[in-house]
Amino acid sequence: MNNMEEELWNYIDGFCTEEERKAIALRIENDGQFRRKYEELMAFQQNISAMELDEPSMGFTYKVIENIRTVLIIKPLKTRVNQRIIGGITAFFICTIMLLLGYVFANINWLNQTTLALPEIKLPQPNSYFNQAVIKGFLFFDVVLGLFFLDHYFRKLFFKKN
Amino acid sequence: MQNELTDIELIGQVLAGNQPAYATLVKRHQRYVFTLALRFVKNRENAEEVAQDCFVKAYKSLTGFQQQSKFSTWLYSIVYTTSMTFLRRKKLNTFFIDDDTVFTEVKNVSGQMKMNETEQKSQSYYVNLAIGKLLPDDAAILTLFYQGEQSLEEISAITKMETNTVKVKLHRARHRLKEKLQSLLKNEVNELL
Repeated sequence: MNNMEEELWNYIDGFCTEEERKAIALRIENDGQFRRKYEELMAFQQNISAMELDEPSMGFTYKVIENIRTVLIIKPLKTRVNQRIIGGITAFFICTIMLLLGYVFANINWLNQTTLALPEIKLPQPNSYFNQAVIKGFLFFDVVLGLFFLDHYFRKLFFKKN
Repeated sequence: MQNELTDIELIGQVLAGNQPAYATLVKRHQRYVFTLALRFVKNRENAEEVAQDCFVKAYKSLTGFQQQSKFSTWLYSIVYTTSMTFLRRKKLNTFFIDDDTVFTEVKNVSGQMKMNETEQKSQSYYVNLAIGKLLPDDAAILTLFYQGEQSLEEISAITKMETNTVKVKLHRARHRLKEKLQSLLKNEVNELL
């Protein structure tokens, strides 16, 4: 785009300063080439401005309102939950924990230093569980799962292509 | 009576629980929203889907409308974002200037009105045809500036671009539109320009 055109567009759009506006107006008056370009751009501008808006289908407004109604009906549960109930449950648990802690601390004998004996837990021997049958069963399950996901992936790829 | 209310007054009514007031807002802006969406997606069905989606989104976010800008500016920013997301999701190609397939599609879009020969030759028809051949961004900026009557600053807010960038893009879009018209009309271009 040449400089003259840019200047003229700024003038037409009203983007130039008062001084620039006066200078361009004077140039349009005196310069024939400048004036012709101005008239050409003005005609073009009128054509764009006269461009008609597209009309959506007849039931557009109705569809929008129906969509809004649907959205309102299937409002997520979290927005319908009464916050007071949540607050009440929270308060109940906080109170219970505080009471429990209070009771525990109140019953601790701070002067008597006794060592805490941890309970002994007997863990089962791993070999008794991981025998050949279990491992084979596990591998079989993995293969089935792998095939399932592979099928899922290829189906997705196929639908995407089509 | 409700038609005389401003957008802000109607929004106030909607927020107060008067849902039919939103229908008035939709009726008022649907043509602009639909046209803008059409500039992006180039297909009436998709444009209608996008436009509907925009109005639903706007309704859901109405409480978040700060009234720092015009309702139309806020609404068009939703249209811009939704259309861009739609294009990305559908992986539609952003059409190149000499893409003939676009010409066919746009011809079909405008042709749905079954215009007669005289109407087809009307200036508005050719400008619409040419604008449909532009890149979505260019077409959207021209639509916002001329049909949406949005200022450079408002377009900048809608498109999240710098005001100067919008200005340059507007100049370029007009230039490309002129080129499109010239290639469409060839000999008849002088009648239009």
